[in-house]
Amino acid sequence: MNEQDPSFWKRVKQTRLSRRGLIHGVAGTVAGVSFLTPKLVLADEGQDSENASCAIASPIPGGVTPFKPFGVVVHHNPLNPANPLAKLNDPSQITDFDGFVGLTHIRGGGTGTNTNTGATTPLAFQADMGFSQGKFVGIDGRQHNRTFAFV
Amino acid sequence: MYTGPAGSASLPLQIHDYNVHIDSNDVFWMILVNHDAVEVNFDAGRASLRVNNLNVFDDHDIANSLTLGLGLPGDPDYPFPAIAPVAPVRATVSFDVEWNGIHDMAQLNNTAQNFKGTFLSTGATIKWSAEQSGFRFESESPDPSRNLISVLGREQNGVFFT
Repeated sequence: MNEQDPSFWKRVKQTRLSRRGLIHGVAGTVAGVSFLTPKLVLADEGQDSENASCAIASPIPGGVTPFKPFGVVVHHNPLNPANPLAKLNDPSQITDFDGFVGLTHIRGGGTGTNTNTGATTPLAFQADMGFSQGKFVGIDGRQHNRTFAFV
Repeated sequence: MYTGPAGSASLPLQIHDYNVHIDSNDVFWMILVNHDAVEVNFDAGRASLRVNNLNVFDDHDIANSLTLGLGLPGDPDYPFPAIAPVAPVRATVSFDVEWNGIHDMAQLNNTAQNFKGTFLSTGATIKWSAEQSGFRFESESPDPSRNLISVLGREQNGVFFT
């Protein structure tokens, strides 16, 4: 049972890539915009139209692929408590950037509530969050000054 | 978000994963916010990020988030357990993240990754909540002991790295 069929992963990958393409296609058709890229339809409270209308930054070239070979490439270097600060990888998610960055890696707890029944339960969370604030050269080749939340 | 006691973060126990998805340029989980959502006093090792009612997706778990809802197959030779496919749903989150207190400082000039700057290891706390159809979450009060690692940086990368 533990013997690996050499074509197993290839078949799985082909199937999943096909499913991924289907999901992208259906989502784009149903929503009118890509359901998987929310920047055009999501905005912070009070966010101005200039900010809401642009996905203008470029990702850092590096990053990780946590679920290789299935997951997408993540252009982000997660903080690792075991690494000394002197070995820090680029904490920014965007490149061609000059400014402030912040990242956190926090684990805690809280309370979940079923809003239909009122039942509550203790839950745990991990928050990998942060921000970038400063100037960057966008994909339009122009310099911008913006604030991003990493969520 | 996970079932289990505070501090748990095991993939099979994950029941919510809130994020803004990867944008069309492949920028990871970043969304433009108002400038005043972030306040930085770098020299003091302090910063804050405060956002209310941000529209996000709940991908259920990190595996579905990073496989675009396809889950994981599970196999004796694969290092992760089987994770069922789950489609994202809409949610809103509010959060107040505070960086405070310098634990360590480093000047970095990383030619392999083309970035440089001054970086601080700091304390940090978070207070946050989430809301979606049929469910609401409220985190505990901010607790500095929950911080595993947090960093502030004043950096230059890419074309600004010289």
